[in-house]
Amino acid sequence: MSMQLLVNALVNAALIAPPAMAFSLLFGILRFPNFAIGGYITVGAFAAYTLNVPLGLPLLVASAGSMVITGLVVWLIHILVFKPMHKESAVTLLVVSIAVTLILESVIRIFYSADVRGFDVPLQRPYRIGDMRITKEQIEILVCAVVLAIGLHLLLKHTRIGRAMRAVSDNPMLAAIRGVDAARVTAFTTVLCGAIFGLTGVFAGLDLVIEPLIGWNLTIPIFAAAILGGIGSPYGAIVGALMVGLAEELTILVLPSTYKLGVGFVIIAVLLLVRPQGLFGTAEIKK
Amino acid sequence: MSAYLISMATYAGFFMILALALNLQWGLTGMVNFGIAGFYALGAYASGLLSAKAGWPLGIAMPAAVLAGFLAGGLVALLSIRLREDFLAIVTLGVGEMIRLIVLNEDQITEGPRGLRIEAQPFHAAVGPENYPLFYLCLVAVFVTITYFICERIRTAPLGRTLRAIREDDVVAGVLGKDVFRHRVQIFAIGGGFMGLAGALYAHYVQNISPDVFLPMVAMFVWMSVIVGGAGNNRGLLIGAGTVIMFLEGTRFIGDAVPRLDAEKMSALRIIIIGLLLIVTIRVRPRGLVPEPKFAFEPTRDAGQPARSTP
Repeated sequence: MSMQLLVNALVNAALIAPPAMAFSLLFGILRFPNFAIGGYITVGAFAAYTLNVPLGLPLLVASAGSMVITGLVVWLIHILVFKPMHKESAVTLLVVSIAVTLILESVIRIFYSADVRGFDVPLQRPYRIGDMRITKEQIEILVCAVVLAIGLHLLLKHTRIGRAMRAVSDNPMLAAIRGVDAARVTAFTTVLCGAIFGLTGVFAGLDLVIEPLIGWNLTIPIFAAAILGGIGSPYGAIVGALMVGLAEELTILVLPSTYKLGVGFVIIAVLLLVRPQGLFGTAEIKK
Repeated sequence: MSAYLISMATYAGFFMILALALNLQWGLTGMVNFGIAGFYALGAYASGLLSAKAGWPLGIAMPAAVLAGFLAGGLVALLSIRLREDFLAIVTLGVGEMIRLIVLNEDQITEGPRGLRIEAQPFHAAVGPENYPLFYLCLVAVFVTITYFICERIRTAPLGRTLRAIREDDVVAGVLGKDVFRHRVQIFAIGGGFMGLAGALYAHYVQNISPDVFLPMVAMFVWMSVIVGGAGNNRGLLIGAGTVIMFLEGTRFIGDAVPRLDAEKMSALRIIIIGLLLIVTIRVRPRGLVPEPKFAFEPTRDAGQPARSTP
C-alpha cells in the first residue's frame, strides 16, 4: 500500500513537473501567473487525440504533432493577445489569461462535445513489482519527464539561447543592453513552453481521460508546484512537483478524493503565508 | 418574453452588486479577489440553510448571510493581505474553490450536488405569485441602489482618497500615517459582506442552489464586468455588468435563429464571445468603457489667494 502510494505520487509528479518548469520559464519572461496554460494543455490533448484516433497515426507521431501544434497555438496567442497588452498590470493579464483558457476550452467544446475520450492504445496489464502496480504508460510518462528535465537543464545551462533566456528572466533591461534580442528569446520561450504543454496534454490524456476540463484540473497543482519551488526557478519546480504529488496522494488516505483539487490550493496558501518566496526562491521585495 | 427580460435584469442586479463589491476591493483599494464565487456561495448557503434547515425568518437569515460574507472577507484579508497581488489572486481563488468543495462534499448539511431547496421568499405572501418576479426585480434594484450609494459614499469620502493612495502606493500611504493594514481588512470585509448579500438575494430568487453554480467562472464574469466597465468607476461598472449579462444571457436568442447549434455548443459560443469582448475592450479601451475620472486639484477661490504656494 505505502509503496503503491509512492509510485502514484511519482507518476503525479512526473505529470506536473514539466509544465511547472515551463510555467516557471514563462513567468520569468512574461511576469504574470498565466492561467492560459490550462487551455494550452487541453489543446495539446485534443490535438494528439485528433491525430491519433480519427486520423489513425501512431501515438508517438501524434505526440510530436501535438507539440508542434500547441507550440504554434501558444505563439499565436502570445502575438495576438499578450504581446500587445504587455503594458497592462499583472492582474489584468491574469484575467485575460483565464479568458484565453475559457475561449480555448469552449472552441474545443464546440468541435468535440464534452464526451470523455481516450487514446487508441492497447490495454495492457500493469506490471507488478512486489505488490506495486505500474502501467506501461506511467513508465513512459516517468521516463519522458526525466529526459525532459535533463534536456531543459542542458538547454538553460549550456546553450546560447538558454543563457539568453536566463538573462532576460533575471534582468530584461540589462539583457537588452548586452545585446540580447528579447523579442526572439520570448518567441522561443513561448514555442518551447507550448510544446511542453502539448506533451503534458498527451501525458494527461494517457494517465487520465481526455475532456475539455483536463487542463483546468491540472492548472492548480502546476501552480502549486511552481510556487512551492519558488516561482521563476525551473529546478525548484521539480521538487515542488514531487511534494505536490506526494501531498495529493497522502490526502486521499484521510479525506474523500473529491477534495484532491483543494490540496494544491491549501499548499499554496500555507506556503505563501509562511514563505512567500517559495522554498528555493530568493526573497523579492514587494512592489 | 417580458418574463425573460425581468429575469435577465434580476441576474444583472446580482452581478452589479458583485461588481460594485469587487470595485471596492480592487478598483478602489487595489486588492485582488478571485474568490468571488466563494463569497457568493457563502451568502447563498448561509441564508438558504438558515431559512430552509434552521427555520429562521428571512429578516434574520439574509442579514446573517451578509455578516457571514463580511466575516469571511475579514478573515481572508487578515491572513493573506500582505501577499503580492498575483499570489493573492491564487490564494483567493483557492478560498473560493475550497468553499465550493466543502459545499459539494458535506452533503449531509448542504445537500451537495442534489441542490438545496429553499421555500422562503421575502414578502411572498403579501405580493402574491402573479407579480412576484417584478417585485423581486424591484427589491434587487433597491439593494443595487443602496450598495451603489454606499460605494459612492466611500469613494468620494476622505476614506476614498486614502484607499486610492493605498492602491497607488501602499508604502507612501503608510509613511503618511495611514493604517494601511486596517483599511485593507476593513474594505475586504465590506466587499465580502456585499458579495454575501448578492448570494442571499440569488438564493431566494432561484430557490434551488447547488455547488455547480459557484464555479470560478462567476468570478471571471464579475472581473470582466469591472474591467470592461472601467475599474474604479462605480457608474461604469454598472454598465459593464449590464453588458456582460446582456452578452451572456441575451445571446440565448441566437440559439433560436441558428438551429444547428445545440444548447451545449451555444453556451460554449457565449463564453467565446464574452472572452473576446474582454480582450477587445482591453485592446481598444484599456481603462474600460467609462474610465475612472482622474483626480484633479481644484483651487479654492478665496480672494485671489493661491490655495497653496507651489514652487
